[in-house]
Amino acid sequence: MMLRIPDKKVGIGVTSPAVHNITTIARAAVTLSGITPRRFRLGLGVGGLQDLSKLGVTSERPVGMLRDAVRCLRRIWAGETLTVEGESFELQRYFARYQPRYRIPIYLGVRGPKLLRLAGRIADGVLLSGPVSYLKKAISMVRSEAAERGTRSDFRVVVWTPTLVMRRKSDRGRAKVVAATVIADTPLPVLQMAGVSDDAVHIIKRLARESDYKTASDHVTDVLLDSFTISGNPEQITEVFQSLEELGADEIVFGPPYGHPVLRSVNEVVEAWESA
Amino acid sequence: MGKRLTFGLGVNANEALKEIVEKSAAAEALGLDYVWVADSPVQLYGPAVASAVASATSKVRIGLGLMSALLYTPEQIARVMKSLWDAYGNRFELCIGAGDKRQLRRVGVHMSPVENLAPKILGAKERIQSILHDTGVVTRIWLGAQGPAMLRLAREFDGVLLNYSRPNMIRWAIKFAGLRKTRGPEMGVYAPAYVHFKPESEILELAKASSAVVALGTSARVLRQFEMYDKYYEIRKAADMSPTVEAILGELPNEVVEDFSVTMTATELPSYLAQLENLGVTHVVFGYPQNYSTKTVKDLAIALRLASRKMQPERAWKSRGRHKT
Repeated sequence: MMLRIPDKKVGIGVTSPAVHNITTIARAAVTLSGITPRRFRLGLGVGGLQDLSKLGVTSERPVGMLRDAVRCLRRIWAGETLTVEGESFELQRYFARYQPRYRIPIYLGVRGPKLLRLAGRIADGVLLSGPVSYLKKAISMVRSEAAERGTRSDFRVVVWTPTLVMRRKSDRGRAKVVAATVIADTPLPVLQMAGVSDDAVHIIKRLARESDYKTASDHVTDVLLDSFTISGNPEQITEVFQSLEELGADEIVFGPPYGHPVLRSVNEVVEAWESA
Repeated sequence: MGKRLTFGLGVNANEALKEIVEKSAAAEALGLDYVWVADSPVQLYGPAVASAVASATSKVRIGLGLMSALLYTPEQIARVMKSLWDAYGNRFELCIGAGDKRQLRRVGVHMSPVENLAPKILGAKERIQSILHDTGVVTRIWLGAQGPAMLRLAREFDGVLLNYSRPNMIRWAIKFAGLRKTRGPEMGVYAPAYVHFKPESEILELAKASSAVVALGTSARVLRQFEMYDKYYEIRKAADMSPTVEAILGELPNEVVEDFSVTMTATELPSYLAQLENLGVTHVVFGYPQNYSTKTVKDLAIALRLASRKMQPERAWKSRGRHKT
């Protein structure tokens, strides 16, 4: 894909050190940065709760793991011979025979308060997703941490939200399935920061776990739908994007499911954004 | 004579991505059948390199591996093959295996006891095959084998890539694995190589380093079998303490090149290939440092063409490339 879009920035959002060996992430990032010189950003995160659960992977120390991962990656890329015997990784006299040609920015895909602060302290940027009420608090928190280390202007905030251009009544049903998927994957601290009560989403989480997202989506209310997805006509979507910019987002990722047909949906939102 | 020999160039060992792509394109233009993209924990990420190679070539077959079934899950490997297939079509083959024990240990992957290893690798192959089958991807799966435990699995795969170069070791491996010339999996050899018309000392040194990596990864049993235990086994302790093989190169005997690589003159190549063909080998991959430069890749292609004419004048290996010699 990177080879086919030669003038666009490309990022991976997100890959997890709980799932991939840290050296695999290190060399994959260097290889991809070689394909897209100065356009590549590495998104690093613990991974979605549902995905990790399906893989039988647990992450009991997400803050420590991501902190260790960032440190480890930067030392590998700096050409150090590395021995690490930590809780997260084990390396013995590891020396990479590859080096990046430029500093690869690391963006952390995080949600809870501790991880947000960590991102502000050590990363080059953050990938956020969640209800707008949550994003407001999260952006403020992460910006404040970044400012303390004197990197406020360089630190990038990326908001990644499921976006859907709605044309037909049936699109609302599709949007609710997406919302149910996101809700099922949203941890309690994020719901608390968003002011969403656990009671409101408890049944959705349970049905997503025990049945499927479609069944769970029957319990997605209009309020929850508007909180967890950006949906509407292109102008309405653009208004939400503008509000995110005002909150301090530097970039918006137009996340799936986009709308049907996809290209037309994306184009319409781009046009609405440009004319706003 | 058995089936027609096919030849490949090994890439992704110490080169920058741009060089890999350039040399792969040269290999295709010069008529080589395969580019094999290695994947080691200390080198660039093989699947992404394979994608870049595919993007710069159009017909050469691309082998990916060895992908270690201890470093990746079968699902991850299958996803990689599916992505490559979706992007570039039916041009890829996969080689899986355990991988280099010492290198894996350096990245925190500890090899299971031998008795657990074989079922794990075989289970991985079956799972990958099943996922690929369900998603409509057709690809050959090779086994990267060297030691006895892996060799016993060879017949379960579409092909076996032996990490040996000496004909007596290849003969032993084929016999041990119970492989036959006329049926069963394809037999291939993938070893460090430097086929030359006039050797360059710098590249010979790289061939020694590359051979050393194989020697240090060879099982004690195999070393004993070929009376090489004393020569190479003790050096492992020093190698374990050193981040790179280059640091202990001086302690290795020069024969390591003869023992573990295809390093020879173009004149010697025909007789070597004839020996391999007689053993039933049908695929030969010339590993690092044969891809040291575009010139060394071209030298290989010329040497192969000359060898083919000498070995089988009636059906000389016909170059599919644009460059004629």
